[in-house]
Amino acid sequence: MSERLDILLLDDEPIVGKRLKPALEKIGCRVEVFENPVEAMARLEKKKFDIVVTDIRMDEMDGLQVLERVLDKWPETKVIMITGYAMMALARESMEKGAFDFIAKPFRPDDLRRVIAKAAKALGSPIDFTPAGRA
Amino acid sequence: MSIIIISADDRAAEGQIGGRTAEILGYGRLGPELLQEIAAKYGVEEGKLAEALEREPSLLRGMPPKKWYYYLSCIEAEVLERLAADKMVCWSLAAHLYVLGISHALRVRIISDIEQRAAALAEENGISLQRAQKILAKQQRQRVQWCQTAYGQDETDPALYDLVINLGQIDPDEAAATIAKAVGYRKFEPMTYSRKCLANLLLAAKVKTRLLETMSDIHVQSRDGRVVVTTKALKRDKQKKTLAIKELAGSVEGVDFVEVHINNDIFSEAAQSLR
Repeated sequence: MSERLDILLLDDEPIVGKRLKPALEKIGCRVEVFENPVEAMARLEKKKFDIVVTDIRMDEMDGLQVLERVLDKWPETKVIMITGYAMMALARESMEKGAFDFIAKPFRPDDLRRVIAKAAKALGSPIDFTPAGRA
Repeated sequence: MSIIIISADDRAAEGQIGGRTAEILGYGRLGPELLQEIAAKYGVEEGKLAEALEREPSLLRGMPPKKWYYYLSCIEAEVLERLAADKMVCWSLAAHLYVLGISHALRVRIISDIEQRAAALAEENGISLQRAQKILAKQQRQRVQWCQTAYGQDETDPALYDLVINLGQIDPDEAAATIAKAVGYRKFEPMTYSRKCLANLLLAAKVKTRLLETMSDIHVQSRDGRVVVTTKALKRDKQKKTLAIKELAGSVEGVDFVEVHINNDIFSEAAQSLR
């Protein structure tokens, strides 16, 4: 793993990537944003990311499939699920399949940064994160 | 770490298995002993809290519905506060009826052999088996009614639980070991979402408790510090009540915004129009 955390962010709503990319770059992460899961998977075939943040409900491929394929290829990668359709059953299924964490939308950038910091610590590469307070 | 909520048709088994599970896992214990602490905190009688957990409101017994709901709300808020700390085993505090939708809460139902319980009751009290069976059947009916009135739930519905254990087939120690193993499944691990859901339930319970101290017929939902309160009032009292709720709810730590929905209290209005 390089010094900076490599994050792949996948969400079919452009606003999510637009908003979260700078929020994660602020804490020193390198972020690649994808809106199409097929393109994201093609990128993941070539490059190992430390963390994958993926939406669950998407056309073509859902977030649970992304989770399984990422962990198949890169078992050490931490996968964080984000969804606007959070329910207990989905949360449990995600955890059972190996998700690192599960976050319900809408959330504040600090909520994701906090989870990214937790994942970085679990990867043995802690990052400095102090909550900025509520946006 | 997760939380475990145990409910049983036999209180003694509930405590025995809850305690044993906590011991195996090194988790904290959250049982009826908590009522003493709650009573001291809210300045109420411990016996009244215990009674509220067992029986429906009754004016004859000095337990009006308003007080009853308040007592239950005090218990709920304090139980949720402690569950938020994780690594807890909880029983006999009705948590299985209000800790809903929390993915890191393993919910367990323990059922026992009714014939064995009746035989034990008959022997203990020197009564006939038939009489003991009738007593247990009556207790069961009352319990079902209590759950319905208090939380609108049927605690005997297996769909409410992640794990159901029959003590007629599995002994208590084995039951505790099974629960301890099940909670280790990855699906019961806490996550940002489930912790938030629990925090939302806690904030709603705190607000409800604050409001029920002086008001009745209060329903509260919360999300990330935003609280929605629904209640009833006479048309002419709507504004006054809204302001009072906003002030009281707003004074609870963690509340950022209060929204109040007041429905017309049609029964009181009809009663007033007849005067």
